[in-house]
Amino acid sequence: MQLKVSRRRMMALAGAAVAVPMRLRAAEPLRLGLTPVFLDNDAEVIARLRDAFGSGTGRSVELVQRRTYQEVTGLLLEGGVDAAWLCGYPYLLHEDALSLLGVPVWQGAPLYRSYLITGIDDPATSLADLRGGAHAFSDPDSNSGWLVTASDLARLGERVDDFFGRTLFAYGHRNVVRAVAGGLTRSGSVDGYVWEALSTVEPELMLRTRVIAQSELLGFPPFVARKDRADTAPVQALRGALLGLDASAAGKAALEMLQLEKVIAAEPALFDGIRARMRDLAAL
Amino acid sequence: MRLANLPLSLRVPLIAAGLMLLLGVVASQLVLSALGAVQDARMRELARLHVEGLALALGPAVLRHDVWEVFDTLDRAGATPDAQRLMLSVVADEKGRVIAASDPRRVPVDSDATALMPGAQSLDAMTVGGGDAVIRVAAPLVYQGRTVGRIFSELDVTDLVAERRQAGLALLAGNALATAVLAFAGYLAMRRMLRPVTLLASHMAETTGAPRPIPPQLIPRGDTELGRLFQTYNSMTGAAEAKAEAERRLADRERLVSLGRLSSSLAHEINNPLGGLLAATDTLLTYPDRPDVVREAAALVDRGLRHLRDVARATLEHNRLDRSGLPLTPEDFDDLKLLFRPETLRLEQRLDWRIEAFSAALARHAAAPVRQIALNLLLNASAAAGAGGVLGLAVQDSDGALALTVSDSGPGMNDAALQRLLTDDPVQPGGGVGLRLVRELVQAANGQIGYRRLDATSTVQVTLPGNPPC
Repeated sequence: MQLKVSRRRMMALAGAAVAVPMRLRAAEPLRLGLTPVFLDNDAEVIARLRDAFGSGTGRSVELVQRRTYQEVTGLLLEGGVDAAWLCGYPYLLHEDALSLLGVPVWQGAPLYRSYLITGIDDPATSLADLRGGAHAFSDPDSNSGWLVTASDLARLGERVDDFFGRTLFAYGHRNVVRAVAGGLTRSGSVDGYVWEALSTVEPELMLRTRVIAQSELLGFPPFVARKDRADTAPVQALRGALLGLDASAAGKAALEMLQLEKVIAAEPALFDGIRARMRDLAAL
Repeated sequence: MRLANLPLSLRVPLIAAGLMLLLGVVASQLVLSALGAVQDARMRELARLHVEGLALALGPAVLRHDVWEVFDTLDRAGATPDAQRLMLSVVADEKGRVIAASDPRRVPVDSDATALMPGAQSLDAMTVGGGDAVIRVAAPLVYQGRTVGRIFSELDVTDLVAERRQAGLALLAGNALATAVLAFAGYLAMRRMLRPVTLLASHMAETTGAPRPIPPQLIPRGDTELGRLFQTYNSMTGAAEAKAEAERRLADRERLVSLGRLSSSLAHEINNPLGGLLAATDTLLTYPDRPDVVREAAALVDRGLRHLRDVARATLEHNRLDRSGLPLTPEDFDDLKLLFRPETLRLEQRLDWRIEAFSAALARHAAAPVRQIALNLLLNASAAAGAGGVLGLAVQDSDGALALTVSDSGPGMNDAALQRLLTDDPVQPGGGVGLRLVRELVQAANGQIGYRRLDATSTVQVTLPGNPPC
């Protein structure tokens, strides 16, 4: 990923760092779990997010990464992290134990789609054309990278393992694109936001794939915390930082790098579409 | 042209150039072999690091048969700058089934990896010497001391092959240049060293009849082999010249001897008419007034004087020094007979004289050597036949060649005489050189000599090929 660091941005970041209260150093670090959304391999993005949340909360922030959604969700539920940026699907799986802190806004709304992609030369035009082929999913707890395709097949009365000749989990939307672009699998289920964002960051990779189907708009992956800790100071500080991210220079820098606009408060009804897909899949 | 037919001054430098070429080829081969060994070691080390690194990273994924993990690792490994040489990496399980490859389109998952193994080299034996731009390596994938699969890789060695080719071309060009320079230098050096030999060979080649000594200033200084060879050659030429001089003197003596033998006969030949002439002059003085007596005496004087004139002319003719260019004529045989007949008269021998060749046939031969050959053979035959013997000379034209046949009724030639006449063996002391002179004259005229003894008659036949008529 190519990062543009202008003099103005550097000055803003430097100013934000100076403005951090002195008590930050003495406070307990705030731990935020991250799922491998799309820029998980970019240390610069991680650093930007840490700076943004640190300046927003007035605390030092530790970003905790794990390979799978399940590991991050487990960390959150067992108290290993104060909050986490999860997918809507694992949020709904543990809806009774989790509360929403905020949802990022992308292209004007807290919504995104799941894309079904193939290699650029593949003749398939729909999911039905992919029968018997190898398919790459992102994560078994990913909405866009698993649930959408699985539920689409369920609606057709098909099971994933029966429909595809082979499936694999690449644990990362970018990895799904790599698997399809490299020819390891014929098709893949990928986060539409990640695919679009990577198209501008890594066009040479994305140009080797094409989208053959898109899901309906679904709730964007939210920031969540345990309900029983939602009112604690660290979580409240984080909620404030998230919702005010677009108001600070460091926050804007991080959002810009993530190609997001801001983070807003949201209700669980935002994820009704995902909820419906979960029901359809369970009904099979 | 065969090498053996070339002159020594060219052959030796060529051999030196050939040896230099051979040396250059061997040296080039050694350098290329060393370069190949370095490249092979480099490639083995690179492949070993590649395989061992992959084995370390892939071990758990291979055990789990995790397709994505294996592909992800291979894909990331292939994207590093150090892995530009890696064209393809394939990981298979213990049964040879492909788990994943860096290029899944080319080697699909679950395909048979053993199809890729033929032609693949092992890590320990891999070499880039085959000239192929791509080499294949197969190695076991060992994890925690156990073989859990196999790794198959294709390595791009285009640069190494090009490097080896360029090194080979550079060596070839360098060695060709060095060989050419050294061969030329060797040629010049050998020419310089062999120049005395060339000089000696030219002197020997130019020698026609008389060896020519090499001037002292051209003899190599110092006690070298060539210097001694030149001295020996000059000594040899001096000896040959002395021998030729001795032979010339012997020939002159022989001519004088033959003249001496003839002189007594000539004196008798002159004395005979002199008595008649003196008697005639006495008659003229006594009877000057008797015309019939004067006429008869004058006629007698005239015949006597004419006879003396003929004898004097024949003698002069035989001893003329500058006769080499004159062609042979029937008169030469008349002169010969005139000179030789008194000898036969003295010994009361019978002479059978037959000149059957025509003037045109005789003219194809030089007069002097033929006269000398015939005279020497006749004198020898006369001496052999002895008093009252029978001699013969026959001259015939035989298909353009002149055949001189001299016969006598003597006891035949002894071995010493035959040796002088028929061989080139050295002349034994005590014998004459007349017969050897005959042999040399015949050889100079490219003729042949034959001897035959039949019915108590010895016959010597000389055949002289004729020169084209002028």
